[in-house]
Amino acid sequence: MDGDDEDMVFYGTRIQAEDDVSSRKKKSVAEAAGQLRTLPSWKQEVRDEEGRRRFHGAFTGGYSAGYYNSVGSKEGWTPSTFTSSRKNRAELKQQSIANFLDEDEKTEMEDRSLGTSMQFDTFGFTAVELAKKQADKEHQQRPSAIPGPVPDEMVAPVTESIGVKLLLKMGWRRGRSIKESQTTSLYDKRREARKAFLALAPDAKEQTGGPDLEDEDVADGHTINVDQSTKTTPVYVLNPKQDLHGLGYDPYKHAPEFREKKRLRVSDNNEKGRRKPLSFQDSLFGFKSGRVAPGFGIGALEELDVEDVDVYAPGYDFEETYQIEDIEDPSGPGPGNVKMLDNKQHGILLGFKAASVADYQLERFNPPLIPKDFTLHHKFSAPLEIGYKVCEVPPPEVPPPEDNNLKVLIEGVATLVARCGILFEDLSREKNRSNPLFAFLSGGNGHEFYKRKLWEERQKHNDKTKQQSDSKVSQSAQKMTAESRGRILGEKPLERSSRDLTPPIPSVSSADTANLQFDLSNTFTQPASQSQLPEVAKPFLHDPAKQERFEQFLKEKYRGGLRVIDAGEASKMSEAARARERLEFESTAEVIAKGNSGKESKTPSLLLADVLASSGLQFTASIEKSKGTNDGVQPEANMYPRREEYQWRPSPLLCKRFDLIDPFMGKPPPAPRPRNKMESFMFMPDSSKSAKVGESLNMDKDLLFTDQPSKERAMEPTEDLIEVAEVENVERPVDLYKAIFSDDSDEEGESTNPSQVDDPERKIEAANTTLSRLIAGDFLESLGKELGLEVPPDLPYSESKASVPNAQKQSSDAKGERDGLQPCGQSSNSAAVGGISADNESSHDVKEVDRQKNSELLPANATIKKDGGESEKPKKDGTSKRVYQHGTSSSSEGDSSRKHRRHIQRSRSIVNETSSSSDDYEDRHRSRSKKKDKGSSRDGGSRSGSKHHRRHKHKHKRKESPSGSRHGSERERKERREAKKEGHKYSARG
Amino acid sequence: MSGERERLPSTEVNVLKGHEGAVLAARFNGNGEYCLSCGKDRTIRLWNPHRGIHIKTYKSHGREVRDVHVTQDNSKLCSCGGDRQVFYWDVATGKVIRKFRGHDSEVNSVKFNEYSTVVVSAGYDQSLRAWDCRSHSTEPIQIINTFSDSVMSVSLTKTEIIAGSVDGTVRTFDIRMGRETSDQLGQPVNCISLSNDGNCLLASCLDSTLRLLDRGTGELLQEYKGHTCKSFKMDCCLTNSDAHVIGGSEDGYIYFWDLVDASVVSKFRAHSSVVTSVSYHPKDSCMVTASVDGTIRVWKS
Repeated sequence: MDGDDEDMVFYGTRIQAEDDVSSRKKKSVAEAAGQLRTLPSWKQEVRDEEGRRRFHGAFTGGYSAGYYNSVGSKEGWTPSTFTSSRKNRAELKQQSIANFLDEDEKTEMEDRSLGTSMQFDTFGFTAVELAKKQADKEHQQRPSAIPGPVPDEMVAPVTESIGVKLLLKMGWRRGRSIKESQTTSLYDKRREARKAFLALAPDAKEQTGGPDLEDEDVADGHTINVDQSTKTTPVYVLNPKQDLHGLGYDPYKHAPEFREKKRLRVSDNNEKGRRKPLSFQDSLFGFKSGRVAPGFGIGALEELDVEDVDVYAPGYDFEETYQIEDIEDPSGPGPGNVKMLDNKQHGILLGFKAASVADYQLERFNPPLIPKDFTLHHKFSAPLEIGYKVCEVPPPEVPPPEDNNLKVLIEGVATLVARCGILFEDLSREKNRSNPLFAFLSGGNGHEFYKRKLWEERQKHNDKTKQQSDSKVSQSAQKMTAESRGRILGEKPLERSSRDLTPPIPSVSSADTANLQFDLSNTFTQPASQSQLPEVAKPFLHDPAKQERFEQFLKEKYRGGLRVIDAGEASKMSEAARARERLEFESTAEVIAKGNSGKESKTPSLLLADVLASSGLQFTASIEKSKGTNDGVQPEANMYPRREEYQWRPSPLLCKRFDLIDPFMGKPPPAPRPRNKMESFMFMPDSSKSAKVGESLNMDKDLLFTDQPSKERAMEPTEDLIEVAEVENVERPVDLYKAIFSDDSDEEGESTNPSQVDDPERKIEAANTTLSRLIAGDFLESLGKELGLEVPPDLPYSESKASVPNAQKQSSDAKGERDGLQPCGQSSNSAAVGGISADNESSHDVKEVDRQKNSELLPANATIKKDGGESEKPKKDGTSKRVYQHGTSSSSEGDSSRKHRRHIQRSRSIVNETSSSSDDYEDRHRSRSKKKDKGSSRDGGSRSGSKHHRRHKHKHKRKESPSGSRHGSERERKERREAKKEGHKYSARG
Repeated sequence: MSGERERLPSTEVNVLKGHEGAVLAARFNGNGEYCLSCGKDRTIRLWNPHRGIHIKTYKSHGREVRDVHVTQDNSKLCSCGGDRQVFYWDVATGKVIRKFRGHDSEVNSVKFNEYSTVVVSAGYDQSLRAWDCRSHSTEPIQIINTFSDSVMSVSLTKTEIIAGSVDGTVRTFDIRMGRETSDQLGQPVNCISLSNDGNCLLASCLDSTLRLLDRGTGELLQEYKGHTCKSFKMDCCLTNSDAHVIGGSEDGYIYFWDLVDASVVSKFRAHSSVVTSVSYHPKDSCMVTASVDGTIRVWKS
C-alpha cells in the first residue's frame, strides 16, 4: 500500500470508509441530541448531515458556528430599518416614543395605558374566548365524541354578542333588518285604513270574505318585510353561473353600466314586457347628467358643466323619470335568483308551511247604527261661542264703585276671568267666600260693575283671539258695515247711510266702540299715515310712474322687514338713479309725515314743494332731470334708449392695427371714470393740481435722466427751487419727497410708458401732495431756524426773489466771492487773509451747506452722489476741490437764506462761467435772474462740472481778459490763488 | 339688388345637413360664395350653399362653437365658443394657427377687423378683447370691460367696435375719437347688426323685439315685434338694400319686417326648432338660416 501510495498520484479526497462515516454521523447525532442542548448557544457548532463542521474560509468567519458567530439572526446583520437613501430620500419615518423604549419599558408603558378590560365585551369576542376555555375544560373532563385531538378551528363554540341576544329576544330574526318595525307599522297603518274602508262599506264585506282579505294583507306585509330585509342586511344568494367566463372573472368590473345592460337583456329574454328596456346610451351617460346634447359627449377628462346641458332640448323628458323609477339597487339580487326570492315571497319561513286553516281570526264589529233623523251637518262650537258673546245683550253701563281699590280689584278679576274662563270665577268665588272684598262675585257690592267689566273684557279677548287665529276679516268687522264703523270712530255719517242703518246700530254699542277703538289704536297706528296719504299728497303727479313707485316705496317703508327688489320700472333704472330717487322719496315721505303731525294749515303738497325747494338742489335737480329725459324721448315715461358718452382710450397698438391715428397720442392717460360718487368727491379738488404735478414731474424726470441737465440742476439748485415755487407750491415737496423716498428706476418706467395702470398711483400722489406740502413747509422752516435764518412764507419768498435789485445782488456777489476766497486761502496754507472768525465761519458753513445740499439738491439724486463723491474723496484734481470749497464757503455770509442760496448758485456759476466769456456771463446771469428761464440755465450748464473745473484750471491764465472792475479784482485774486494752488500741487507732486 | 321692390328670399334651395346637434351660427363669407357654420358638435363646417356641398370640417374646439368669422380674403378663420378660447385658423389647411386664451368664460362672438389684423371677441365674462393676429403675443391688445353683463355680440366698422350686452347696452367704441358711446336699451341685447349704409344699428333684444337705432344720435327709430326671442341667442340682419329686417324666431319661423313701418311683410316656417342664425348674402337675394334642429337652409327668391 505504501509503495503504491508513493507511485500513484492522487487527486481529490479519498472516499472514506463506511464505518468511518457512520461513526462520525453517530457522533454528530449524539452531539445534536445531548450536547447542543446543554452547551451555551455561543459554544454550539453547526454541522451538516455528515457531521462535518462547515468551513467558510478565512475571510468569512472560519468554521461556521451557526449565526452565533455573526449576529443573532439567520439573515445576518441586515438592519431592518435600513433603506437606501438614494432611492427614497426624504422618507420620514413617523417616530414615536415606542421606538426608543426597551422591551421592559414598553411593557411598563402598556401597564399604564388604558385598555378594555376582559369584562367589556362589545362584539362577543371575549365571550367566545371564555366559551372556548370552558369547552376545553369540559373536553378534558369527559372523553370527546371524536377520537383524537380535534383542531380548535373546527369546533369553535359559538356565542353571540349581547346585542344580538337582545335583538333575538325582542323578536328579531337573522337576515332581517332592524328597521322592520317601521315597515310593520306602515303595514299596520295600511291594514287599519283598509279595515276602516271595509267598515264603511258593509256590503263589500258581505261579499268578500274577511279572511281572504286578511290573507292578502298578511302576504303583502311579508313581502314587504322580505324586500326590506334583503335590502338592509346581506343575504347570501347563490348566483348560478350562467356565463362562460372563468371563475371569479367579472367582465363588468370596471363598467357596471354594461352589467346592467346585460342583465336587462337576459331578463328581457326571460320575461318579456316585464320591464321596458333602458336605452344603452342613457345607462351609459345617465348617471352624469340628464340633459346632455345628443350625439356627442364631452371628453373623458372633462367634467360636465352647466353649459353642457342641452339648452335646446325640449323641456320635459319623461324617459328620465321613468328610468329612475325602474332602476334597482345594483347590489340587489340578479335575475337568476328571482325564483328563489319568489319562494320567499310567500312570507313563510323555510321549513314551514302555511296552515290551511288559520286559528286566528280577527273579530269584526258592525259599525254603529246612524239614527234616521241624523243630518249630515256639523256645527262648530267655537264660533258659536263668539257669536253668542257678540250678540249677547250687554249689561247696562254702570258707574264704577267709589272704592278705588275695589274698582281695581274688579277690573283685575274680570280680565283674568275673561282670559281663563268662567272656571276661574267659580274658583275665586269659592276661595274668597269669606272675604268681603270679593262680595261682588256673588252679587254683592259692585256686582253690576263686575258684570259689565267682565263683558267688556270678554269682548276684547275674543277679538284678540280672532286676530291671532289669522282670520284677517274679523267677525265683528264682517258684521259691521262701513257706516257703523264710521259711527264708532266718530265720523259723521252721510245722510243716507244713517237713515238706512237703524237696525244694526244697537248691536254696535258703546262697548263695541271701546273695543274697536282699542283695537284700532293697537293695530293701525303705523299705517295711519299711509292710509292718509292718498288724500294728502301726490307729490309726483306730473310723473305717474314715479308716483306709483313712490307709493310702493311708502308701502314698503311701513311694512318693514326685508324689502323685495323693486320690480318693474324701477329695475330698469340705473343704480345711481334709483338711489337718488330713493333719497327723494324718503325726504318727501318725511315731509308728508311732518305735515300730518303738525296739522298745519298749509296743504301738504304745498309744504312739500317748499321743503323740496329748501332741502337742497339735489332733489329738485333730479326731478327736473328725470322730467327732462322723460319728455325728451317718449311721453310714456320710457327712458330708453338713453345715450351716454365716455372717454375711452384705445390702446396704441389697436389704433395701429386699425390703421388709425391714436387720438391720445402723446397725451397723458385720462383720468379714469370715477367708480362712485365718493371717489370723485375725494379726488376732485386735487385732480387739476395733480395733473399739473404729473406733468411737471415728468418734465423734472426728463431733466433728471438726460445726463447733463441733471448736472446743471445740481449746480443751480436755488434756481430750480425758485422756479418750482413759482410754478406750483406743491411741487417742491413732492419733488423732494419723491427723490428721497422713491426709487428712480421705477419712476422712469412709469413715466416712459404712462398707462392707465398709473392712474391710481397718480391719484394717491395728488392726495399726498397736499400732505407733503405741509410737512415740507415745516421741514424747510425748521431748517431755516437751524441756520438761524428766517423763512418767509412761500409766496413772498418767490416775490422777494424776483424783486432783489441787481446792484445789490452784484455787491453781495462780490462780497461773497471775497469771503469765499478766504477759506480757500486758509486751506492752501497761504498767508492768512481772513481772521479766525472767518475760519470758524467757513468750516461751519461747509457743514451747513452740506446739509443744504442734502436737503435741496437731493432731487437730482445722481448728481448729489457725484457731488458727495467729489467733496468727500480726495480728488486728484486738487483745484476742483478748491473751487468747490470756494463755492460753498462763499455762502458764509448773507442775511437771508434766499441770498445765501443765491450766493451758492452765483458763485458756482461764476466758476462755471469763467471758462466762457465773462461778458456773456454777466448778461446771462442777469437774464436768468430775471426770467428764471429753465432753458437758458440749462444750456449754461451743459457741460459737466468736473470738466468745467479742469478746463477752468487750464484755461484760466489764457482766458484772462480785462472786463468789469469787479471781475478784474476777482480774477486777480483767483489767479493768485490758482497759482498758489498750482504751486502747492506741484510741490505735492514733487 | 336695388330694384323697385326687393324680392325676399323665401324659397328653399338647399338644406345643408351634417352638423350633429344644434347649429349655432351660419355666416356667408365676404363675397357670398361660401358659407360657414358652427355648432354644438364642436365643429366648424365650410359649405358651398349654392350647390349644397359640404367642403370642409374644422375640428379642434373642445366645446361648442358659438361664432365664426372669415377674413375678407378668405384665408383665415376665427372662431370661438364654450372652451373660452378664440381660435385662429388657416382656411386651406384647416389647422389652428393660434389660440387666444384669456377670456374667463365662454366667448359669444368674434369678428375680424377690416384688415384682418385684429380679432375682437365678446365674452360671457363681460369683456371685449382685441387680439393681435400679426404679432405672436398671446396677450390681448386691449380689454374693454365696461360692460356689466355678458357681451353677446360684436361688430366692427373701420373705426369702431360695437358690442351689445345683456346689461341692455349697445356700446360703441370709436377708436378714432377715443370715445365710448353707450346706448341704454333697457333690455338684454342679443345680437347687433349694422345696416349696410352704416347709419343704423339693429339690436335684437330679449323682450322679443328688434330695435333699430340711429347710430349718430342714439335715437330709437323703430321696433319690430311679432317673433319670439326670449331665451336664445338669435341673429338678426338687414337685407342688402336695407329695406327689410330679418329675424328668426324661437318657433322656427323667419320674419321679414318692413324697415320703415315695421309691419311684418312675410313670415314662414323655416325650421322645426329655434332659428339661431340668419345671414344675408352680401350681394344677392339669398339667405342662410341655421337652427337647433341641426340643419342649415339656403333661401333664395
